[in-house]
Parts: sequence; structure tokens; C-alpha cells
Amino acid sequence: MPPAQLAALVLLIPLASAAVIALFLRRRGAAAAAISVAAAAGLAAVSLALIFGGQRNFPAAVEWLRLGTFAVSFGVKFDDLAALMLFVVSIVGFLIHVFSLGYMRDDPARGRYFAGLSVFMFSMCGIVLADNLFMLFVFWELVGFSSYLLIGHWYERPSASDAAKKAFIVNRVGDFGFLLGIIACYWLNGTVNLTELAARQAAGGLVFSRAIPLLLFCGAVGKSAQMPLQVWLPDAMEGPTPVSALIHAATMVAAGIYMLCRIQVLMVPDALTAIMWVGTITALYSAVCAIVQTDIKKVLAYSTLSQLGYMVAAFGLGSLMIAHPSPFRAPGGGMAVEPAAVTFQTGTAAAMFHLLTHAFFKALLFLGAGSVIHACHHEQDIFKLGGLARKMPVTFWTFTVGVFAIIGMPFFAGFYSKDAILYLALEKNPLVFAVLVATAILTALYMIRLWRIAFFGEARSDAAAHAHETGPVMTVPLLALATGSVVAGYGWTHPAAFQGVLGQVPEPEGASHWTMVAIGSGAMLIGLLTALAYYRPAGMDPLQARVPVVFGGLRFAQTFFDRIYGYYVDKVQQRLALLLGWIEDVFLAGWLIRGGAGAVGFIGMGARALHVGRLQVYAYWFLLGVALLWGFAAGRF
Amino acid sequence: MSAPALILAALPLPATSGLDHYLVVSALLFAIGFLGVLVRRNTLVIYMSLELMLNASTLAAVAFSRFNGTMEGNVFVFFIITVAAAEVAVGLAIIVALFRLRHTVQVEELATLKS
Repeated sequence: MPPAQLAALVLLIPLASAAVIALFLRRRGAAAAAISVAAAAGLAAVSLALIFGGQRNFPAAVEWLRLGTFAVSFGVKFDDLAALMLFVVSIVGFLIHVFSLGYMRDDPARGRYFAGLSVFMFSMCGIVLADNLFMLFVFWELVGFSSYLLIGHWYERPSASDAAKKAFIVNRVGDFGFLLGIIACYWLNGTVNLTELAARQAAGGLVFSRAIPLLLFCGAVGKSAQMPLQVWLPDAMEGPTPVSALIHAATMVAAGIYMLCRIQVLMVPDALTAIMWVGTITALYSAVCAIVQTDIKKVLAYSTLSQLGYMVAAFGLGSLMIAHPSPFRAPGGGMAVEPAAVTFQTGTAAAMFHLLTHAFFKALLFLGAGSVIHACHHEQDIFKLGGLARKMPVTFWTFTVGVFAIIGMPFFAGFYSKDAILYLALEKNPLVFAVLVATAILTALYMIRLWRIAFFGEARSDAAAHAHETGPVMTVPLLALATGSVVAGYGWTHPAAFQGVLGQVPEPEGASHWTMVAIGSGAMLIGLLTALAYYRPAGMDPLQARVPVVFGGLRFAQTFFDRIYGYYVDKVQQRLALLLGWIEDVFLAGWLIRGGAGAVGFIGMGARALHVGRLQVYAYWFLLGVALLWGFAAGRF
Repeated sequence: MSAPALILAALPLPATSGLDHYLVVSALLFAIGFLGVLVRRNTLVIYMSLELMLNASTLAAVAFSRFNGTMEGNVFVFFIITVAAAEVAVGLAIIVALFRLRHTVQVEELATLKS
């Protein structure tokens, strides 16, 4: 089958599944689940055929709409980057669909849930394949919509519906910048097609501007929950746990990173520096917040934020190595250079490498948490769990693999991808390097804390005491993801299909290699040993018991942004809105509209007085009118 | 000599009459007609006053035609007489119908447009 048709199938399979479920199967959960999982399996098969079919950058575009000279095409740009991302989305997505079969078995609204998952797969694949920024934006909004649907799946709970609204609104803020960035790109370059932009960059004819990458980055800040728009992601944990694994850990929040990698040709050094710092600060801040969380999913949510910060920082760091031929050259003044195939920069490669391993181990961790939550009747407080290591061996061991991967234990995937990022940071910016190493220490600290408290010791609640291992439909995806969390880190396991991206991952050589291993392992060990020494399975956080000031301070730091936004909305925006409403009432509605209507009514009253009903009075008016007309014709007035 | 002849003989009338004289007569006729329309209460009399105004205009048209030595004014007069005859036929029919309906032709009693 030609690759363009395969790419079309990638989009159509989940769309058809969503349409069938939404139209016919809303009340029939079992059938909806079967169709959705079958669609995910079909999507995975077609994606693998497309990825390993070896076809890259094939032409596939149709004109979608034309506004004057601005034509929006609906097309596919399929390079190694898109192949890697499609691989992550389809494989991890399929495993999470399977897991959902078990997790959502007793949910009364399974039809809605699986329809939402299919809509999400459709829109996410659209983001991956989009060949222009406009189409990317359309699918970008669609994933936001499906995320909204799935966070608010249990909409009867006010916290869930609030979280869904919060996620949507916060994303709107970022997407506004994204839209402005697309407009700026079109304004300055006359095209939003990614292939054309890359060709112009290669030929030296691209107009660079700080505004374009920074505005587009706003979209990534919203979607990937970077500071200062990170507030929605922890709240999004109100959704079902497989949704958190799929959308809010593995794929959708990583779409921001992917989008940055897609637009790497537009980057300028200043923008990259800003991106690097945003990612670095987010990584550290979220790691600090994660230490004081008691909800198992909130810990994972903050760790997701932190890891996304790593990826954003990696993108900003690595691509600083490239020097544009002449960043601010006038348009069209470039030399006639053969448009070479665009190579992916080291930053893109390191970010995507971490995205790949993170998708595996974070999906694994979330699904493991989902398995625990399912077994313990939706008990999410880690201080009320405990003793699960013996009762749920498969979940425990796979979760352990995930923990080791995220903290950067040698021989697990996270070690290698984090190493690549730290190496980039060491070469480029010592301060960023120091912050990222500190974040790595904190990562080990909070993950081992979670692991130790939730799985060891005695069961501290009835739910945990009666927990037992979940069925194979949930453990098999865990095992598959655990395998991925180990092998995805080794370069020799990466198929040739991804070499265009993953082949560029920076690898320290010789002495610096061992330096990096020592620093990475050392940071991990410090955090690990501290956590083992300090946290014991108990009913209360020892930090809270012994030094409540620190604990309270960290809690304050966690809610700091929410407080600021709350204050802003409540005290500034609301008052401004009241003022504007008052002005509208008085001036617009009062003066302009009611005043205008009143004036017309007044004239009407006057005119009505002329109408007296006596024949000869009209003759007098006639005489008056003739006199006026005569005077006017004679030029009297 | 009779009294009117004496008055005419006493007035300093010009030997010949020009355009101005005809126009003055026309304007007087028009003004009398319009005054009748304004002040009379009987619909039939108002109608006669309207006819008087029409005739005033025909007189002016004939005078201009004679003064200019062209025939347009005369042609206009024929049209006006024709239309006026048709109008009288319709108008009198309306007044008769109105009288049958309301048993009056006094305009102050015909004020149902505003009542």
C-alpha cells in the first residue's frame, strides 16, 4: 500500500472508531471498548507498517481551504522525527487501551470513555503527521478537547469538572500565543508549511525573528505544562488513571516538545536560551513540589512536569550548538545553497530520546499506580497504602522498573536519556547543569519515597489490606512497558527507522563518559540513600512530623501559582470585568442604545402631534411644505 | 353709462393688456380657490374651489403660450380639461357615495382618520 494511504489510514481508523461509538454505541460499553481497542491495535499495525516501510518525506497533501493567497493544505510530513513520535503514540496508546479494558470494566460510561480515547488517538496522530503549522494547530486544539473530555470523565465530581475546565482554560492562554506565532510566521515568511520553511532555511532565505519561536513556544508551555502555565497538569489527575498515563504523561503533554522539534528551523539563539531556562526552572520547581505530595498520582504528575522540563531544557541546550548561517540576514539575500536534507540537532535528538524513554517509564508508572488504585478501591493516599509488594508482585516489580528508570539507575532507560541531557548541559551551561543534577537528586528522593511508602511496611487501611493482584489484561501492558523502560535506553535496540533522530543523541566519549556516569549515578545514589534513610513506611510524612515549617513551606511553594492566579482572577480580572460591565451598562446600553431609541421615540411623539385627523389641517401643512420648498429653491436657507 | 362702466372708465387701466395682467388674474383666481379649500366646510364647495385652482393654472398656461408664441401651453390646457373632467366624474361619485354612507358632506364631521 502506498505510504500516503497508510498515513491516511492512521488518521481514519481512530476517527471511524470514535464516530461509530459516538453515533451508535454510547450505551453499549462492552462493544464500544472492543471497537476502540481494535482500532488502537489496527492503528498500531498500520503505524508500524508505515514506520518500517522505509518511506520518508513522501508527497501527500491536498488543499483544504484557500483564503485569498493563503492556502491551507491538509498534508503529511513524515520524517524520522514523525516516525519516532508515531511509534510512541501508537504503541504506548495501544497498551493503555488494553489496560483501560480492565481498569474501566465497571464504569457505567465506558462508551463515552473509549470514544474519548479514540478521538484523542485521532488528534494526536494528526499532530504527529501535520505538515504545516495551521493543521498542527487544529489537531492541537482537538487533543485539548479530548483531554477536556477525559479529565472530566467523572463529571459528577465537582473537582473533576473543575479540573477539566482549568486544563482547557490554561491551555487557551498558551494557544493564543501559539496562534499569534503562526500568524507571525506567515507574516514574515509567507508560508507555514514545515517542509517549505526547512527548505528556505537551508537556502538561507528564511526570515528569523525572536517573536516567532517564542510565540510558538507559548503553545508548548501550555500543552507541556511548563512554568508559568504548569498549574493545570496536577489537577488533571482527576481523570481516570489510564488517561493520565496516555494523555498527561506519555503523549499529549510531550506534544509540546515534539512541536518544538518540528519548528527547530525557526529557532534563534535568544529564543533557545529562554526555552532552556523555562525548562530548567520547571524541572527544579516541580521536583521540589513532588516531595510533599501524598497522592500517588500527584507525585507522578509533578515528576512528569519535571521530566518535561528536562526535555524542554534539552531542546534549548542542544540546539544552541548550531549556528545559523546568518541569523538576521535580509530575506532573499542568501547564497544559492543546495537545499540539503534537514538534519536533526543534538538538542532535538536528546529531547526526543528522553521523550521516548519517558513515554515508556511514565506510562508504566501511571499504569502501575492505576493497578494499585484499582486494587485498593480508589485509595490514592500513599500513607494509607503499604504492604503491597507482597500482595501485588507483578505490579510491584514493574513499578520498581519504572522507578529505577525515572531516577536514572544505570542499565535502565532513563539513565541513558537523562545522561545525554546532562552531558549537553555540562558542555553548554554549568549553571543549568547544576540545576539539572540537583533535580536528578530530588527525582530519586521523591520517587523512592513514593515507592517505599506505598509498597512496603504494613497495610495501613482496609482497602490496602484486602488488595490483590489485578488480572492479566492489566498486568500484560505493565510487563510490556517495563520491557520498553529497560531496552529503549540502549542505542543498539533503536531501529534504523529512527536513526535520523536518535543517531544524533550526544554521547560523551572517553574520560568524560566516565565523568558523566559518575555524576549521574552519584546524583541518583544521593537521592536514593537519603530517601531510604529518611522515609519509612508510616501513616504520616516524617518531614511533616519533624519539621513542619519546611513541609508547609514546600506546600506553599506548590500552591503559590494557584494562589497568584486565583488572586488575579478574583481581584483583578473580576473587578475589571465588573467595571467594564458597568461602563457597558451606562454608556453603551444606557446612552447609546436606550438614548438613541429614546431620541427616535421623542421625534415620533412630535410627529404624531401633527396628525390631527382634520382634512383642512393637512392642507395647511401642505401650504407650509410648499412654502418651505419654495424658500429652499429660492436659496433663502 | 352704467355704474360698472363708470368705475372702469375712472380706473387708470392700460389701453392694451400684457402678460402680467393675465398672470395677476391667474394668481388671484388660484388664491381664491386655495382660500376656499382652506376655509369652506362643505365638501362640494371645496371641490368647486379646487376646480377654480385648476382653471387658474390653465389661464396662466394659455397666457404663457400666447406670450411665447408656441402651442405647448394650449396643449397642456386640453390635457388639464380632460383630466379634470374625468376627475370630476370620479370625485362627485365619491362624494355621492360618501353622502349615502354618512348622510353628511361637512368635513368637520368626516374626521374618522383620527378619532
